[in-house]
Amino acid sequence: MARYAMAFDYKLCINCKACEVACKEENGILLGADKHRLWINVKEPSGNFWDLDRDDVEYMPTQCNQCENPPCLEACPTKAIYIDDNGIVRLYKELCDLTQLCIKACPYDARYINSKDKIVDKCNFCSDTRLNRGLITTACQITCPSKVRIFGDLDNPNSEINQILKERNYFQLQPNKETKPKLFYLI
Amino acid sequence: MEIIETSRRRFLKSGVALCVYASNLDALTCLPTYLTQPTSKSTNNIKEVPFLCNMCRNKCAGIGRVEQNILTKIDPNPLFPKSRNMICPKGNSGIQALYDIDRLKYPLKRVGVRGDGKYQRVTWDEAFEYIKDKLVDILKKEKDNRSTIVSCNGEGFNKDEYIKFFNGKIGSSNFLDEGSICLNTKLGATILTIGDIGEMDIEGSDFVLIAGANRFESLITPDSVDLARKQKEQKLVVLDPRATVTALKADEYLPINPGTDLALCLAMTYIAIENELYDKSFVKKYFKDFDKYKKHILDNKYTSKWAETKTHIPAQKIEKLTKEFFQAKRPLFYLGRRSVWSNNDFQLRRAMVLLNGLAGSINRQGGIILGKPIKLPEEEINSPLYANTKERFDLDGIIYGSKKGGSWLNFREKIVSNKAPYPVRAMFIRKHNLMQNMPNVSKTKKMLEMMDLVVVLDTMPTDTAIMADIILPECTYLEREDMVVSFGKLEPSLALRNRVIEPMFESKSMQDILKGLGEKLSKPLFDISKEFDEDLQDNIKELGEKQAFVDGGYDLAELYQKDVTQRNRELIEKNFGKEAYIMLKKDGVWYPNIKKYHREIFNGNFEYYPKDKRYYTIDKKFSVNCYLKKLAKNGEDAMPTWRDKYDFKVKDGHFRMITGRYVTETQSATTNNIMLREFSDTNHIWINNQVAKKLNIEVGDMVEVESSIGKIRIKAYPTNKIHPQAVWFAHGFNSKSFYMSNSYNNGANDNEIIEDKFEKIYGCATMHQTDVTIRKV
Repeated sequence: MARYAMAFDYKLCINCKACEVACKEENGILLGADKHRLWINVKEPSGNFWDLDRDDVEYMPTQCNQCENPPCLEACPTKAIYIDDNGIVRLYKELCDLTQLCIKACPYDARYINSKDKIVDKCNFCSDTRLNRGLITTACQITCPSKVRIFGDLDNPNSEINQILKERNYFQLQPNKETKPKLFYLI
Repeated sequence: MEIIETSRRRFLKSGVALCVYASNLDALTCLPTYLTQPTSKSTNNIKEVPFLCNMCRNKCAGIGRVEQNILTKIDPNPLFPKSRNMICPKGNSGIQALYDIDRLKYPLKRVGVRGDGKYQRVTWDEAFEYIKDKLVDILKKEKDNRSTIVSCNGEGFNKDEYIKFFNGKIGSSNFLDEGSICLNTKLGATILTIGDIGEMDIEGSDFVLIAGANRFESLITPDSVDLARKQKEQKLVVLDPRATVTALKADEYLPINPGTDLALCLAMTYIAIENELYDKSFVKKYFKDFDKYKKHILDNKYTSKWAETKTHIPAQKIEKLTKEFFQAKRPLFYLGRRSVWSNNDFQLRRAMVLLNGLAGSINRQGGIILGKPIKLPEEEINSPLYANTKERFDLDGIIYGSKKGGSWLNFREKIVSNKAPYPVRAMFIRKHNLMQNMPNVSKTKKMLEMMDLVVVLDTMPTDTAIMADIILPECTYLEREDMVVSFGKLEPSLALRNRVIEPMFESKSMQDILKGLGEKLSKPLFDISKEFDEDLQDNIKELGEKQAFVDGGYDLAELYQKDVTQRNRELIEKNFGKEAYIMLKKDGVWYPNIKKYHREIFNGNFEYYPKDKRYYTIDKKFSVNCYLKKLAKNGEDAMPTWRDKYDFKVKDGHFRMITGRYVTETQSATTNNIMLREFSDTNHIWINNQVAKKLNIEVGDMVEVESSIGKIRIKAYPTNKIHPQAVWFAHGFNSKSFYMSNSYNNGANDNEIIEDKFEKIYGCATMHQTDVTIRKV
């Protein structure tokens, strides 16, 4: 039993793609497609070359928010989506019949069609792979050169993620949607 | 860089076809069809093997997860001080380098003409036999002048062993490596100025100034990692004619004219001297000829206003930058680790080292560290002395030059213009893609065509491989154990590359290849020396043939009587003890007190040595040399000096061609990697957006780029992130070898248009001295 979450010290991200490669290798993500499981939102500078405005420049890693109140779960007519013992939003693969209503319901655009397994897929914090093998790291987090990602259990008062959320301010994505997301962006 | 017009989805067609997914595994891996997929979900069958990465020159430590003899995942090894518990995108993609379907699988013999790619599969013995016959013929013609055989090597690991074989055992004077198309000016400038190549301590610095080095897109450990993790109270300032990710993420970015960093350095020096900002006690203690340098800088009036006219950086910004630099507690002018760009590159690096010296940032925390590396004793071998071997010639006309790796462009020029003092007839090329890696590809092609024998040792059928007569498939870094290596001066360690899986197909490690070659060549080549070498003839008279052979070291495979595992064991146990050996085999890394010192601080950030145990400052005599007499004697500037020829001037309608790389590629070595193609599926030329607008060039438009030596076609990427008079595109693309499925005929190769100019101090190719025109097609 755990309540896994991820915090992002996102201003450290250099958009090197190590996380994306590690994710694809670990979880067998199909090649040739964008924004599968995790991706980085990029904002470029404005202005002209000699006077670039870099204030807006941003590399923001994102993925499924592992909502405690997941709209995708509500939207699924076949009850294929559930929250597992680790607080991770999961899928009964055999129940998914690709209505794609979850894709429409997700405010974070985190879901996509996995054409190999013929299901709607998304990040599940390496549940099938690393967590399944007893590790408590995700592929993206452990490989990151900047150590942007802090993964851990919100129910464990001593976890590193709880420590950092106590020490630092943070924001979450689209809080007004009341999805209770479990991704935290440190500021 | 995000380029919207590029559809990654088209790779669905070519890419996914290559990947078959395990259907009965929860952990899915992208593995090619020729592998039996791992079927077990049990964790009992998982083996974890520590290794050192080779996806770039850097060497980071990883742990390979092996399931049923298949490498399924790579994770970082937290024990290695250098790589700081991370694996970059390229390192993670090592699996796809191992299982690249285009890999060289068997020895091949050419049956067509060079470059047409027609090869026949042969056995290892047939390949060695062919090489032997050719070499016997060549050495007879050249009367045992061993220097007619040239070897070159572009891979860091095993280079010294390769040299021992070709230069030591076979006895050639000619060896070339990537240094002269890489960073030899930096190494040379540092050695000649402070007597050591040093190591830069980014982590310990509170003010880092970077000129052009792109540490966030060209990852070097620990430098990139230490910058990316952002040290507390550290300011990063970047100068670049292109707003790289490093520039965009810096605390301050100063756009600058290409090739004018030296002017900025000279102005900083001027301001520091005139305002007496420098560390006077340090200068007094360590500087030699400081008064000369001071007078030179002041007399030349390298003021901030003067530098503004050269660099395009406003004078007051230069003043502010200089003051901040010298007011910082531990400033570092980062020397870079990159290819040579401008014709003033050596002087630029010298000026940078001298600025670090003026700030007292040598042999102290946050500066250029002299440090204390772990000494690994050399394995001694007995190399023959060949009486008829002639001297190398690639350093003729070069003032210093690397005695080890030489000067590629000078060498090639002498060959193709028939100015070499003796014929060079054979070339052994290991992991060195000559057809893509140096300016002016057509000359490289001509050079290779002039050879009687070209042998390539590589893992991939590169453009250079298809110029070879014999291709010998080397296994990848994941399929071999290599000799233990010593890393680092500040936080030193030993690291061992263990074999993650057995060599695939008929590939072999370099050691095994040289062993086979040595056994095949020893006797026949000895017989040639017997015929032509009077010293050997005398020895035979005195000792008898058998003894002369043994004593003279003519057994070319001598080093390989023991395998690498045994050699490692003996070397490590003898010098560092049994425990060190056990740890290197099991964990991949060892240094004294590792178990005591190594601890996690937070979230995968580790401390490797406590601060008071790091070698920030060592008790070593050194001086900072302002004036180099040898340069003055040879008509070059003994102190960093600006010359009119360094001014940035581009004719109307022309652009300065600058080059570099994407974070997801290591030159041509990775552009065939199916995983990395996800992120850099082709290269685009960056052109300033306002200029592009005038030329009516839009994103994705095909443009023709022409220099004095050639023209290429490439897609355009108009952006505000580049100097209006410069264009840039990433190196390593557009393979001509159609065996490279993903990189063949994709994008453009910069070296088809970069002119082959080289500077005369280290003989290094100057990559940013070519002007081009560009037009929409």
